[in-house]
Amino acid sequence: MLNLKQIYNFEWKFLGVALLISAVGILTIYSATHSISSHSATSYYGKQIYWIIIGLIFLFLAAAIDYHTVIKYAYVIYGITLLLLIIVLIKGRTGLGAQRWLAIGPLSFQPSELAKLAIIIFLARYFSDKRSSGGFKMKELILPAALVLAPLLLILKQPDLGTALMALFIFVMITLLAGVRMRSLLVFIFVNVMTIPFIAHYFWGMLKGYQKNRILAFFNPEIDPQGIGYHIIQSKIAIGSGGFFGKGLFQGTQNKLKFIPEKHTDFIFSVFAEEWGFIGVLVLLSLYLVLILWGITIAYKAKDRSGALLAAGIVCMTTFYFIVNVGMTIGIMPVVGIPLPLMSYGGTSIITTMIALGLLINIKMRRLLLFY
Amino acid sequence: MRFRIIILAVLIAVGLASGVLKLFYLQVLKNKEFSQKAQRQHQRTVALEAQRGAIYDRNGRVLAVSLDVESIYAIPPEIDDIRETARRLSRLLNEDARGLERKLREDRDFVWVNRRLNPDVVAKVRNENIKGIGFIKESRRFYPKKELLGHLIGFAGMDNTGLEGIEAKYDKFLKGEDGFIILEKDAKGRYIFPTSGYVPPVPGRDIILTIDEVIQHICERELDKAIQKTQAKRGMIIGMDPKTGEILAMAIRPSFNPNEFIRYSPEGWKNRIVSDLYEPGSTLKVIVASAALEEKVASPHEPMFFGEKEIDIGGEIIHDTVREKGRLSFQDVIKRSSNVGAVRIGMRLGKDRLYTYLKSFGFGEKTNIDLSGESKGLLRETRNWSKRSIGSISLGQEIGVTPIQLVTAFSAIANDGWLMKPYVVSGVMENGDITKKFYPQIEKRVISSETAAEMTRILIKVVGEGGTGEKASIDGYRVAGKTGTAQKIDPRTGLYSDRFFISSFIGYAPAEDPRIVLLVVVDSPKGIAWGGSIAAPVFKNIAEDVLFYLNAPSSSEDRVFMVKRE
Repeated sequence: MLNLKQIYNFEWKFLGVALLISAVGILTIYSATHSISSHSATSYYGKQIYWIIIGLIFLFLAAAIDYHTVIKYAYVIYGITLLLLIIVLIKGRTGLGAQRWLAIGPLSFQPSELAKLAIIIFLARYFSDKRSSGGFKMKELILPAALVLAPLLLILKQPDLGTALMALFIFVMITLLAGVRMRSLLVFIFVNVMTIPFIAHYFWGMLKGYQKNRILAFFNPEIDPQGIGYHIIQSKIAIGSGGFFGKGLFQGTQNKLKFIPEKHTDFIFSVFAEEWGFIGVLVLLSLYLVLILWGITIAYKAKDRSGALLAAGIVCMTTFYFIVNVGMTIGIMPVVGIPLPLMSYGGTSIITTMIALGLLINIKMRRLLLFY
Repeated sequence: MRFRIIILAVLIAVGLASGVLKLFYLQVLKNKEFSQKAQRQHQRTVALEAQRGAIYDRNGRVLAVSLDVESIYAIPPEIDDIRETARRLSRLLNEDARGLERKLREDRDFVWVNRRLNPDVVAKVRNENIKGIGFIKESRRFYPKKELLGHLIGFAGMDNTGLEGIEAKYDKFLKGEDGFIILEKDAKGRYIFPTSGYVPPVPGRDIILTIDEVIQHICERELDKAIQKTQAKRGMIIGMDPKTGEILAMAIRPSFNPNEFIRYSPEGWKNRIVSDLYEPGSTLKVIVASAALEEKVASPHEPMFFGEKEIDIGGEIIHDTVREKGRLSFQDVIKRSSNVGAVRIGMRLGKDRLYTYLKSFGFGEKTNIDLSGESKGLLRETRNWSKRSIGSISLGQEIGVTPIQLVTAFSAIANDGWLMKPYVVSGVMENGDITKKFYPQIEKRVISSETAAEMTRILIKVVGEGGTGEKASIDGYRVAGKTGTAQKIDPRTGLYSDRFFISSFIGYAPAEDPRIVLLVVVDSPKGIAWGGSIAAPVFKNIAEDVLFYLNAPSSSEDRVFMVKRE
């Protein structure tokens, strides 16, 4: 299953880049949580190191098992995920107005995070099994759409709007990458344009108050600077006041004085940007760019269709998280409450991202395997 | 599919590029704006009020002082139970609980609960140890002598800015410079630590007045007595050192207590000694007579009155109150205050010379005393005079003077002919050292030394036996002075009233070496209104006490050169 050559071929450099970003994340979490006025015993950065170590174990596991095996059990994984999502709705732990967490012993995790990976694996399997020249027809897409909709609705029920949208986005991206017949695509777009206003209206009614507010605040943060627009305004002030060179490590006033909301989780980028400035941001974004390009190359050069789809799906998901998170801190995306991969504090996010990176490494290694 | 992956890569690149552009916009282009926003959010500049300088009289007695008192503030985000806190404060401060609660519920991180409180109240609140309530030392202006000299001192408002009187005029010295401290606060409005920004306040400088509190007290006491006795509406007394122009006292009634300035109307704050005009009446005859002597158009013993009851100037009749069968000399005209005689003296001068001398003595011009709100008085130019004017002005009508003008002009006669500039502030003190001193300023010589001596001799006669100012005489001292009784203009008719008068007396003592010139003005006394019977006794009472207080040597025959010459 794993031999020395494979270890040699393991993508150490890129793992290094990922760990470098994680290290920056730890430092930033340290800065965000160790402020002068609070000497809380909970050291978030320590826990984050612990999560990263666990994440690395998952990464190596995900890299070790041949991805073909993963693809083979795609439907099983899908089924288990669906089951977990149902369980979480019945027995899950509630937090922040949503029932998202499932406890296994001392650990708790969010099945919805796992669901995104499961959907990618499932779609990679589905679209590599079925091939059609000139792209899929609308008829052929009904089944995968229905199978994605099931977990998506369960996630929406929790409710976890961000993850549900993410799942929808992954489905659309992978389907497009797998290939859709031009005529079907145009029809699909047309039908959507006609129906979306009605769906959106219904959907708006389904949203919880805070979700509506976030969307409203995105369009106009000044509506209520103390309330719903607060996050966006404060984040922009922190980032903007950082300037070109930044205020220096641990010197971010908006961070230290707690003006940045959710600063060790969703708004970790704001803390970083305030302290490191535009220069630091460019370096950090370059590191992410290296990872993304590396992922795209893997998808591009993947040995087979299932590998390519799996890799592309993972790149889409991770990149989307990255862009939406950074986008929300600078006010070009709505605040949907999703973490910055590798940097935000939180076990589920770290482990999911590590598994995703492991799968990418897996695909890369198995491609090279061909030449030996 | 590879083609589609490339499209994906391009889309990602576009997303990333737009993010970088936005970051460039925020961090580089708009950096200044956001830095300011950030600073405004987490910094609070607290002004540190400078201690206002004190005001002393010429002997270092305190007239105005700033004392440290405490103010109570609240930091609403730190208060757990606003209603309960408001209720407790309301009990301690004896204030409306609902008003307090409204204050505490304001969406701010700093509100004043109450400022400049009495120490015992502050102590009560401090003992309760209420969360979110703090104390700041501020200064509160106290005028320990209350009404005494109130109009001259004026007052400073809540924000340490002089609004009236000396407090306003010398504000730049008294105020000092406020300092500030920059406090950092967090998102919840809690203060974290003070930063680099600390500028200590520079305390204000002290002002030393020319006023003598004792003389001031004597003046106010006597003015109160006179007003009570005559039931006059108002009254003013001003005392000046004729040799220097230093104002020694300035008493005004109705009184004004600067500690409670809010209870008075702005009219009540006014220093009417410099701002209000009145017709001086017979006191002005002294100036006219001085001019005539200086111009040598008349001599002291020359007859100027021949027993007439009235005098006709260009068809206008001026009556005389003096009922004398025989003739009166120039000096007796002043002594008895004959109107006809005075008109004749004025006519000897002619209107141009009369005008020139009045102007020279400072009428129709500001004295430029170091007080705000001074008016110029009213002295019309000769081309606007009517036929009657020369007569009226010689009697102190048709001319508006301020008390300060009259006392300054009169002082020139007492000061050997030299007109001095009046002033009330003699120095500025910093940390107990006098850093700025104001010296007497000679304006000009208005009459010769001889004329001044001659006038003094005549004015002594006014206060002597048979003179109108007899009641101003003091045992052991020679007093020079002149009475004045002016009809007030009735505001309803615009004509001279026969019910309202202004009784005045102006004089100085000891006549041979004057220590003080005093003007007593009693406005609208009830009953007999003659300056000689109303104002002259007030002068006497004051001058007597003042001369005793100043330890002035009594006037013995051999020291009085004017008497020797007789």
